[in-house]
Amino acid sequence: MSTQLDELQRDALQELMNISMGQAANALARLIDAKITLSIPKIVMVSAAEFQQMFVTDHYWFTRQSFLGSVKGEALTLLARAGIETIGGLMDYPLPLDDRSKKELLLELANILAGACLNGFSTQLSLHTKLSMPTMFNAELRQADSFRWVSTLLLEVEFQLEGTAFDSRIVICLEGQSVEVLIGKLNELLED
Amino acid sequence: MAIPVTIADDSMLSRKTVRKALPPEWDIELTEACNGKEALAAVAAGKADVLFLDLTMPELDGFGVLRELHEHHAKTVVIVISADIQPEARKLVESLGAFRFLHKPLQPDQLRQTLADLGLL
Repeated sequence: MSTQLDELQRDALQELMNISMGQAANALARLIDAKITLSIPKIVMVSAAEFQQMFVTDHYWFTRQSFLGSVKGEALTLLARAGIETIGGLMDYPLPLDDRSKKELLLELANILAGACLNGFSTQLSLHTKLSMPTMFNAELRQADSFRWVSTLLLEVEFQLEGTAFDSRIVICLEGQSVEVLIGKLNELLED
Repeated sequence: MAIPVTIADDSMLSRKTVRKALPPEWDIELTEACNGKEALAAVAAGKADVLFLDLTMPELDGFGVLRELHEHHAKTVVIVISADIQPEARKLVESLGAFRFLHKPLQPDQLRQTLADLGLL
């Protein structure tokens, strides 16, 4: 697929992602009473092979949730292994975290961040999406074909919790046909 | 006489959103800035009695602009329009003398109300 975004489309998409991540950060910041630093969203077309490279790390845990609706795809949440105890403490989990509560915490964080991100994004573009609950994704057991696409649009935002080692990234992957739907919506927004 | 107004935001879409939300009867002379440095230049050139200011911008961010204006006791009325809506961001912005903190996506009604509240309309 040779979908390319022009400058205006990219600008619009970046701004929509900015607003969505602002809403996600606010949801988390209010919950844990801390300040979250936001990065500038990254928008890239990637091949399946490049996509797989993302999992070659022991810096993060991964969760995965799919969404359906007028656009389809997956939201992956990368949660830093460092600093998770701090977050657990801020969210009133008993410390040290045992495996079960750690998993629960990771899934809860993923759902807050990815949920707010996707929701913000869908609302602004009048898209309807329904997000499934997250599951842990074991990157070591991954298969090269465990994702459906050949190439995809990847939207990545990064959250850094001030004063801690914790950071998180949300990666929204859109399937080929959904990329076309998205571009159509962006064009409507730009023509308006 | 037309009021000099500047919109400072690195996103073209955001600048357009603000531009379109401005009340049509408001008599202004509009300038657009793509980053904090351009925003300060607009203020220095007398083009920003009212400044709509984004927070996350390259070169110099909105906080930097506010600090600079605050230090120099600038008379510019700053209305922050931000995607970062965390309570901490609002607190910092208010401590630096911004008059209002509006959330993105910007609601035109809210902008109009804000301008009316500030006696700008």
